[in-house]
Formats: sequence, C-alpha cells, structure tokens
Amino acid sequence: MVDLGLLALRLAFVGGLYAVLTAVYGAWARRPAYARSARHAAYAVHALVAVAAAVLWHALLTANFSLEYVASYASSTLSLPYRIAALWGGQAGSLLFWVLILTTMSTVVHLQNRDRNAALMPYVTATLMTIAVFFLALLVFVTSPFERLPVPAAEGADLNPLLQNYWMLIHPPSLYLGYVGCSVPFAFAIAALVTGRLGDVWIRTTRRWTLFAWFFLTLGNMLGARWAYEELGWGGYWAWDPVENAAFMPWLSCTAFLHSVMIQEKKNMLKMWNMVLVLLTFCLTIFGTFLTRSGVVSSVHSFTQSGLGPFFVAFLLGVIVVVSGLVIWRRPLLRGENEIDSFLSREASFLFNNLLLVGIAFATFWGTIFPVISEAVRGIKITVGPPFFNKVNAPLGLALLFMTGVGPVIAWRRASARKLRRSFAAPLGVGFVTGAVIFAAGWRNYYAVVCFSLAAFVLATILMEFYRGTRARQALMGEPAPRALANLVGKNRRRYGGYVIHVGVVMVFIGVAASSAFRLEEQETIRKGDVVQVGSFTLTYKDIHFTDDPHYSSMLAEIAVAKDGAPVGTLFPEKRFYKKQQQPTTEVALRSTLVEDLYLVLGSYDEATGLMTMIVFVNPLVNWLWIGGLVMVLGTVIVMSPTAAERRALAAALAVEDRGLEAALR
Amino acid sequence: MERNRRFIVGASIIVAAVAYLVYTGIRETSVYYLTIDELLSRREAVAGEGLRVAGRVGTKSVQWNPATLDLKFRLANFEDSDGVPVAYTGVLPDMFAEGRDVIVEGTYARDGSFHARTLLTACPSKYEAEAGAGVAKE
Repeated sequence: MVDLGLLALRLAFVGGLYAVLTAVYGAWARRPAYARSARHAAYAVHALVAVAAAVLWHALLTANFSLEYVASYASSTLSLPYRIAALWGGQAGSLLFWVLILTTMSTVVHLQNRDRNAALMPYVTATLMTIAVFFLALLVFVTSPFERLPVPAAEGADLNPLLQNYWMLIHPPSLYLGYVGCSVPFAFAIAALVTGRLGDVWIRTTRRWTLFAWFFLTLGNMLGARWAYEELGWGGYWAWDPVENAAFMPWLSCTAFLHSVMIQEKKNMLKMWNMVLVLLTFCLTIFGTFLTRSGVVSSVHSFTQSGLGPFFVAFLLGVIVVVSGLVIWRRPLLRGENEIDSFLSREASFLFNNLLLVGIAFATFWGTIFPVISEAVRGIKITVGPPFFNKVNAPLGLALLFMTGVGPVIAWRRASARKLRRSFAAPLGVGFVTGAVIFAAGWRNYYAVVCFSLAAFVLATILMEFYRGTRARQALMGEPAPRALANLVGKNRRRYGGYVIHVGVVMVFIGVAASSAFRLEEQETIRKGDVVQVGSFTLTYKDIHFTDDPHYSSMLAEIAVAKDGAPVGTLFPEKRFYKKQQQPTTEVALRSTLVEDLYLVLGSYDEATGLMTMIVFVNPLVNWLWIGGLVMVLGTVIVMSPTAAERRALAAALAVEDRGLEAALR
Repeated sequence: MERNRRFIVGASIIVAAVAYLVYTGIRETSVYYLTIDELLSRREAVAGEGLRVAGRVGTKSVQWNPATLDLKFRLANFEDSDGVPVAYTGVLPDMFAEGRDVIVEGTYARDGSFHARTLLTACPSKYEAEAGAGVAKE
C-alpha cells in the first residue's frame, strides 16, 4: 500500500512537469493537440495525488505505525474524525492535502473551460501545474509522508491534543481552500499577461473563483479565531501571532481586489492595480505557507526550524521575479482608459478603501517580519507584539469602517452636494447621535465610541439602501413590501449581497471593539464554598470532580453562576490530561449570550491544599463577532449565486474574445 | 492632470498615515528579542531593559506555589548548563514543563534575575514534529 502512495507521488511529479512543458510548447507552437495533452496530464496528476492521499488516509485509519507520519500524528485510541483530520495535522500530510486541493481545483477549472478560453488555458494549466510540481517536489524529495520507521512503533504519539477540537476539523481545510483558491485567479492573471489578453475575460472568468477563495479565507480566519477562543483559554481570539497574520494578509489583499475589480468592470480603470493585487494575494498565500512552516519568525505555533523555509523563499522569489517581469513587459496594455474625476466619487472612495486595506496588510507584514529585518540590518532581533498591531491597525480599521459606509452609496464619477446630502445626512446624524448617547452614558474609551458611532452610520446607510430600493420596486412594480425586498436582492445579488457582507463586517467591528474595550478579567485562588464576584456575576465554587478514560483524565470544577443575584446555571471549567502526549489542556466553560460571554478557566488545582485557581473573563458582545462572521459568509453566498444576466455578460465577452482568436489563427 | 494631482494628494495622505503609524508603533512597542545564550553573553548591556527571551525550562528548577501562584524556574540555555532565574506570577500554561521551550517577556534586573510579565510556551504545532519525530530531514 505504502509503496503505491510513494509511486503515485513520484508519477504525479513527473506528470506535472510534463503538463507544464507540453502546455507551454503547445501554446507557443500553436498546436492545440499539445494543450489537450497537457490538460489530460493535469487530470492524471489529480488522480495520482488522490491515490497518494487515499493511501495516507488508509494508513491513518488502520493505524499503520510503521509509517513515521502515522506514528507521529495518530494513536490507537484516536477517534475516527481526528484520524481523518490527522492528514492535515502534520507537515508532510498538510502539504499533500494542499496539492490534493490544488489539483482538484485544477480539474474543475479544466472541465469548466474545456471549450472556452482556448488562448488562456494552456498558460493556466502551466501555472497551476508549476505550483503543484513545487509542492510535489517537496513531498517527493524533502519531506515524504510515506517515510517508514526503521522499526514499526508499538503506539503512535497521537495528534496534538490542542488540535483535537471540532473547529480543528474544519478550520484548516477551510483556510487551505481559501489559500489554494487564490491560485486560480493567479493562474488566469499569468495567462492574461503572457498572452496579452488583458481585457474583461480573465476577470469575469475568475470572479467566482476569487469569491470562492475569499469565502473560505473569511470562514477559515473566523474558525481559527473561534478555535483560539475555545481551546487556548486566554479569553481572547486573536493575538497577532505570525501564523494568524499569515492567514489575515491574503484576506486583506483579496478583499481589496474584490472591490477594485468592480471599478475595472464598470469603468475600465485600475487594470494595473488589479493585476498587482491578484499577484500580491497569491504571493501572500505562499508567504503565509512559508511563515507557518519555516519557523523564521517565532510564533506560538512553531518555534523551531523545519527546514522547508529555503525552498519556499526560493519559490517565492522565483514567482516575484517572473510576475514583475511580466507586469513590466505588459505595462502599456495595463493602462486604464479612464481617469478618476473627483475625490467625491465611488471610484475614489474604492481606491481609498483599497489603500487602507493594503495599508493594514503592509503594517501587519512589517510587524510580522520586523524581527528578521532588524536582525539582518542591526544584528539584533527586535520584536513587536500585539500592542504594535493594535496601535497601527485600529485607526486604519476605523477609517476602513467609515469607507464601508461611503463607498457603496456615493455616486459614480462625481457626487453633487445635493446627492451627498440626500445619501449621507440622515446616516451621519444617526452616527453622531449614537456617539453622543453612549458618551453621555459614560463610555470613555474613545476607540469604542468612534467605532460604535461609525457602525451606526454604516448600518444606517445600508438600511436606507434597502428601504429605498424596496420602496422603488413597490412603486414601480406594484409588489407588496416583502416580495419587493426579495426581488430587489434576488435581481441585484452582487449589490445587496455585498450590503449583507457589510452588515456582517459592522457586527464584527462591534464585537471586537466591545470585547477588547470593556473586557473584565479576574484571577482568584479559592477553596470549596468560596464566592467570587466579577462584574454582575457571582460565582460559587461548589465542588471538583475527577473522571478518567483511556485517552485522557480530567478534572472539572463545579461553579454555580448567578447574574445580578439570580441563579442562571452551573458551569464546569475543565482541565484534561492527555496520556499519550503527557500534556494538560484547558477546556474553558462558556455561558454565552448576545450581551456577554462569561468565560471560565480552571487554571490549576492543588490536591494537597485543595486550592483551585480560576480565571474569569467577561467579554461583552463578543458573540456579535461570530454572528458577524456568519452574516459575511451568508452575504458571500448571495453574491456568488449566479444570475442569468451575469452568465450572459461572460458569454458575450467570451464570444468576442473567441472571434478575435479565430481571426488571429486564420 | 489637475484632477490627478488632487487625487494623488489624497492617496499620499493615506500612505503617509500608514507610514507614520508603523514608524511610531515600532518605536514605542518594540522590545529586544534574545535567545538565552545572547542574553548570557551580553548581561551587562541589557540589564534593566524590557526583553523577550527564548530559552528552555531548566531541569529540576521549577518551584510552583499553587496558593500564591508564584512560579520560579531557571531559564536555561539549550544545553541546560547555565541560565537565569525567572520569577513569574500566574497560572501555569498547559504546555509548561521542565525541558520545554518557553519565551518570557519582562525585565532583566541588574541583580541577574528576570521578572516575567508573560510566559509563552512553545506549542508543538501541527507543522512541527515533537521530540525529533523528524519531519525536517536535511
């Protein structure tokens, strides 16, 4: 079995190389037969990688401890879902999983474009397969998932207990789908640059792929934050750790691209900028992979060198050199046909939004790699922590929130004073009133006051858009209000789906601002019967319980909770001890409402003295962060669902392109 | 051209704001990040400074008082031969144990002791093999 996996990986590597060479030669020599052969090779690579993944999965499920990978990341008592997840639980497996996703996407792209984009496709094939070959090379030559142990292990070391959490089952696949999804727009961008076909087609063809990648990047980041919140037990969800930043940066540049690409579609502007954003996003996904695997920047996720760093640096540098060369070569074709007319226009506001997003990405990037740079320049490592990122990104984030309200509503080209008043007078009023009210109520955290005022402003602009649209349909079509609203959204999915995403963004801002500005934290060492008062909560330590099973033993503190004097239930913060890895883990106890989360951590328990240390957090409004994430995801689904009009637009653009192609070939 | 110039002014303001925030942010929040060996070799120079130090928990050095949450241990170098005494108050992180890699952040006092405000433990994450389980083969 294992030999089959090894063989499949080697063949996939060779097949990938073949696909790259034949695709490029076929396009260059204008011989479609070669392009077809390259496509078939890409299918074969996909099948071979799937075989390799299946073999590794089989080894994990049957607990084949003669494999080093299985012995390192599984054990005989590990439950089925985590055995499946162990495929992406370790380095070699996660690289294999990565190629599996990439080649699956490659197959979907090839099937979708079998009869379309004949000019672009060979280069798309070549680009996707080049990326696949890079990862396959790592798997074949550097870090094989099928490495055998000299002597089969009697038992596995088990999957890290911190990863044995249901969020961990879906967070990495989601993030990988997002990361790898960025490769498809990248491949089309490269194809567009090489062929000089820099019109609408590549953008329209990849629009849904970009949204798809963004959808999973958003989801992946949210799930990661949720995992950190539930599993790490420090009361927070985001610590600006390099690995978190690695997932956040491509999200930012991808978000910027999704916005500015609208300007290109509508106004034929910002072609160069969009191209740079697509290329940048892909580079950031590779950079993110590099960060998580190289250990070049110390992180709570990985402190040591893994040896893959140099390969990623080399690949990344190669990519940067090639794409920079292509962009410079094609510069004349990337000039836009229009210029921005006014500051007060949607074009300008989208560009400012882009600059802010890229600015946040840049600040995050700089803070992340600062230790490396300072060491290279000054010979000493200087590091920045969460205070740096908060200090820099909070004002930029608030400016961005403001633009969220302005961008979608302000008029194209040039907004007149009258129109501005009509669109923004009421929302600005709502924002100011909100700010005044909460200030009068005694809030003195200025970031929070500004954030809530801006949130109210943005929500007001969005509500007004829905209200006006619905009213207009009611008047025009004579539809009743609910039907008018449904049709409004259904017929303009991009626009109103976008608004739904923005509502989610506002919720996220509210959750983040409130939970970081007004969070309570107490740490108490207590005996049975002691009472702790935190905010409006009264916590009584009733008892401690012990359980034991073959996989882990655990202790649970029984805490009676009362809010404003009235009992609201019992919570059981828990500490587990995983036997295979001899490692304790903290299982927090949560009482989660829309108003606040009560978050209890069993810090330690001393059997000799009976003293228990409990850490208590009260996180106000933090649930809105998760709900906001769900709303963003829902909005993306609305935006992604295709409409007939959009399909027609793509078909029309393709028809023009293909006619041009036929003419060129003749 | 006139229009473009005005626009460039707007864009420059954002770029300048980002640059300013990054610059002051780095100046105000950065701390030296040393390995324990670097700390040991330049004790004098960094005494009294806020530091972030990576090292290993020395064998048989952990004293932990669960009543007061006072933790004392030796932050050893990677051969476990030398180190500095660290004092920390708070709950033990899950991964804390002798021989584990940790990062402490705090002040290195002139008397050679380290007062840690934060104590981070290396999370042998999914990308890293623990105890030489050997993913990195070069």
